[in-house]
Amino acid sequence: MANRSTQKHTMTKRKMFLRMITSSLLRRRSRMIIALFSIGIGATILAGLVTIYIDVPRQMGAQFRSYGANVLILPKDGQTLTTKALNESLSSVPPEEIVGSAPYRYVRLDMMTRQQSFTAAGTDFNQIIRTSPYFSVEGSYPASIREILVGKEIAETIGLKTGSSIELTYQPPIREETDEDAAASGDFLSGSAEGFNGALVYVTAAIDDQAKITSIAIDATTQTPQYGGQVMENEDFEAQFIGKSVPLTLGEDVDALTGATITSTAVVTALNQARRTSVPTQPRSVTYTVTGILTTGGEEEGYVFMSLDDMIAITGENKIDVAELSISASADKLSSYVEQIEENSPVAKARLVKRVARSEAAVLSKLQALVFLVTAVVLLLTMICVSTTMMAVVSERRREIGLRKALGASDESIRAEFMGEALFLGLLGGIMGAILGFAFAQVVSVNVFGSSISFQPLLLPAAILVSMAVAAASCLLPIKRAIAIDPALVLKGE
Amino acid sequence: MLFRMIRGVLFHQRGKMLLIAFTIALGASLATAMLNVMWDVGDKVNKELKNYGANITVKPKDSSLLSDIYDVGGEEELNTAYLREDELGKLKTIFWAFNIVDFTPFLDARVTLPDNSTVKINGTWFGHHLDLPTGESLDAGITGMRSWWDIVDGKWLDEKEEGAEREVMAGTLLAQSMGWQVGDTVLLSGSHGTREVTIAGIFDAGGDEDEQLYAPLDLVQELTDRENKVSSIEVSALTTPDNELARRAARNPAALSSRDYETWYCTAYVSAICYQIQEVITGSVASAVRQVAESEGNILDKTQLLMVLITILSLIGSALGISNLVTASIMERSQEIGLLKAIGARDYSITGVVMAQILITALAGFAVGYIMGFGFAQLIGHSVFGSAIEMKARVVPIVAGLIALVTLAGSLPAIRMVLRLRPAEVLHGGR
Repeated sequence: MANRSTQKHTMTKRKMFLRMITSSLLRRRSRMIIALFSIGIGATILAGLVTIYIDVPRQMGAQFRSYGANVLILPKDGQTLTTKALNESLSSVPPEEIVGSAPYRYVRLDMMTRQQSFTAAGTDFNQIIRTSPYFSVEGSYPASIREILVGKEIAETIGLKTGSSIELTYQPPIREETDEDAAASGDFLSGSAEGFNGALVYVTAAIDDQAKITSIAIDATTQTPQYGGQVMENEDFEAQFIGKSVPLTLGEDVDALTGATITSTAVVTALNQARRTSVPTQPRSVTYTVTGILTTGGEEEGYVFMSLDDMIAITGENKIDVAELSISASADKLSSYVEQIEENSPVAKARLVKRVARSEAAVLSKLQALVFLVTAVVLLLTMICVSTTMMAVVSERRREIGLRKALGASDESIRAEFMGEALFLGLLGGIMGAILGFAFAQVVSVNVFGSSISFQPLLLPAAILVSMAVAAASCLLPIKRAIAIDPALVLKGE
Repeated sequence: MLFRMIRGVLFHQRGKMLLIAFTIALGASLATAMLNVMWDVGDKVNKELKNYGANITVKPKDSSLLSDIYDVGGEEELNTAYLREDELGKLKTIFWAFNIVDFTPFLDARVTLPDNSTVKINGTWFGHHLDLPTGESLDAGITGMRSWWDIVDGKWLDEKEEGAEREVMAGTLLAQSMGWQVGDTVLLSGSHGTREVTIAGIFDAGGDEDEQLYAPLDLVQELTDRENKVSSIEVSALTTPDNELARRAARNPAALSSRDYETWYCTAYVSAICYQIQEVITGSVASAVRQVAESEGNILDKTQLLMVLITILSLIGSALGISNLVTASIMERSQEIGLLKAIGARDYSITGVVMAQILITALAGFAVGYIMGFGFAQLIGHSVFGSAIEMKARVVPIVAGLIALVTLAGSLPAIRMVLRLRPAEVLHGGR
């Protein structure tokens, strides 16, 4: 019985407490709205600015990638770097942090008709767009084979325009025949045979000292692209030749590519009839179409750019000299990736582009410090604003406190009620503010960086806790003052 | 009477009025600091971005192609066109002279070392003192334009020091392969003479420069008999991000209408600065290094926009905060206002008295707030960028207007609401 009555008693007490809070909230609606509003603003600013602050390095870092590559991949001494080896070496870097990786192979090509020679770069245009966004192309990037991009300086000197044709010649380097060279690998098989419609297919294969094929390059640009032309792009077809030696038999050593039987036969025939030379090929000339003129303001304006496939076709070598990597990561992470690439890859070594990496770290750290300080100052001031408003709202109720005290309410119960009210407002305002703040951060991110911001789940409880703490703390002083005063004086209105 | 009433409130309710003044001061200081930082952040970040080096290169008109495209060993004979070293000072006389942060000339050559190997030597300025025709003087050179170089050993060359004209800086790879140390002397043979030089510093640039020598311009000119000749100039300039007009102008300034031309010429677009450089340096082609110029514009735009949005948020925050508090404080005084009404005061005179009190408080708050805001702005400027934030005069009326507006918006509706109540009810304490 007694137990039940105390239970009932506490029940009613709790009910009464709740009713007092809710009725006070309802009765003094306008004042409470003001307080809630004020806490909400504070929490919005807190959540919004902190979200932006946390996300700024990532978002700004992405902007800094427009300065271009920050890591170079080079072959280790005496090794050959290929696209495949490049991709393998990149396995140590998380794919989402790689903005782009552009391979480059540089050779000199001659323009026989004008007795001039240019540096030509074989590369991947899809990657260049990402690693070198500052490239400005008048016209378009080459989309298919035998199309090239020409630097502005070259275009101006020899009067090239988008759509013009240019014949470029590759002169294979002359090797000095020494005993060491003869023993080393580096010999080539190069030959040609008639393919579809009697057009020539060119094949160049590098062989090692046991006459086994180590790499192969096929130029079947004379063939119909969707049939015979496929042999140039099909890596599986090319892979069949590796490790074998001539003569080869089609159907036994090598399977013909479906839909390209005539061309496949031509490739095998060309290899079987090939001459063994110490130079890859005879000088080869190819006519290219200019699809665009490149402006950069740098030395690239004196280069000719073509796809890696075209480069392999004209030089007969499948290798790259250097790869430019653009990685979106902090300075520390970059250095660790560089070490990892070097450790994990047998053929590739990595180097930081100091100019880009160092400068980015310097500027980015300043920007982050700026946003941090601004956030700190704004938050501090806003929180003080919130607490002054809360103080004003609470001290306004001195009369009520006095009345309640006169009616016999204990100091504790009054304090508990006010604190409960403040905490409730803090909770509500915190939730409101966290949502609005995230919405604000999202608007900023979309407008400034054009990408959505990542939501920080921890920020919701943080915003709520801070709002509740600020609300409760700013009530403490005015309540204490109100309670300390003699009820009669307060009620009299002094 | 009015003054006594106003004074009465200001003094008797000092605590409350101080609270309001304090909040307004906070809001005003926030607005002042944020607006000043926002307007100055562009210049500040622009200066930071100079870390990336030159954004404009100047080359002779005719031979700009030759040395780059022909990878010929003895290119000195081919490279027939040069710029004149004595014209470099003119860079600081162009319309946007103030925006030219730094510049340095280059003249390269190949020199032969005692062991018969050849290396590339770049002549340039190292803290070169320059007296301008305008009467000003400045120090220009490569030192500030290669912030990413690490000096592994020794120090940067400085032309103002004794004996600097016989000193060189060597790249770390070159120094390693030759076994050079700082202080070693090396005999360099150029096409027109031989000089004995001292290694003053060894640098790590992380690029091709690591296999080259850098020497004072005069030394390289003497070695190759090319007095007063310079093969290129790098210029680091503060620029405005390109817009559509700048892009049109970059293609052909002559095609612009005279009004567009004037706008373009008088804006610090990189193309306008290039154009003005070409006007003062004989036979030159100035072009923007797109890698630097384009990215700079991009990052500047983003930073400024980011700051504008953060500023707007904090302005809204402080505006709402202030008007909120003002509303709260007026409602708190409903009893007093009810009493005034009960003893026969007119609505407009009550409004006048209350408004005057609040506006005086706001004015005091604004004055304190502006000073505080100045402090916050300088705190941000010094701790982030290491330099003062320029206080813009236009911030004062903007913040003052904002405070006035916010105070009015916070108080007028509240006073109206209180006045609408019946005095008896208010005095009774019901409501």
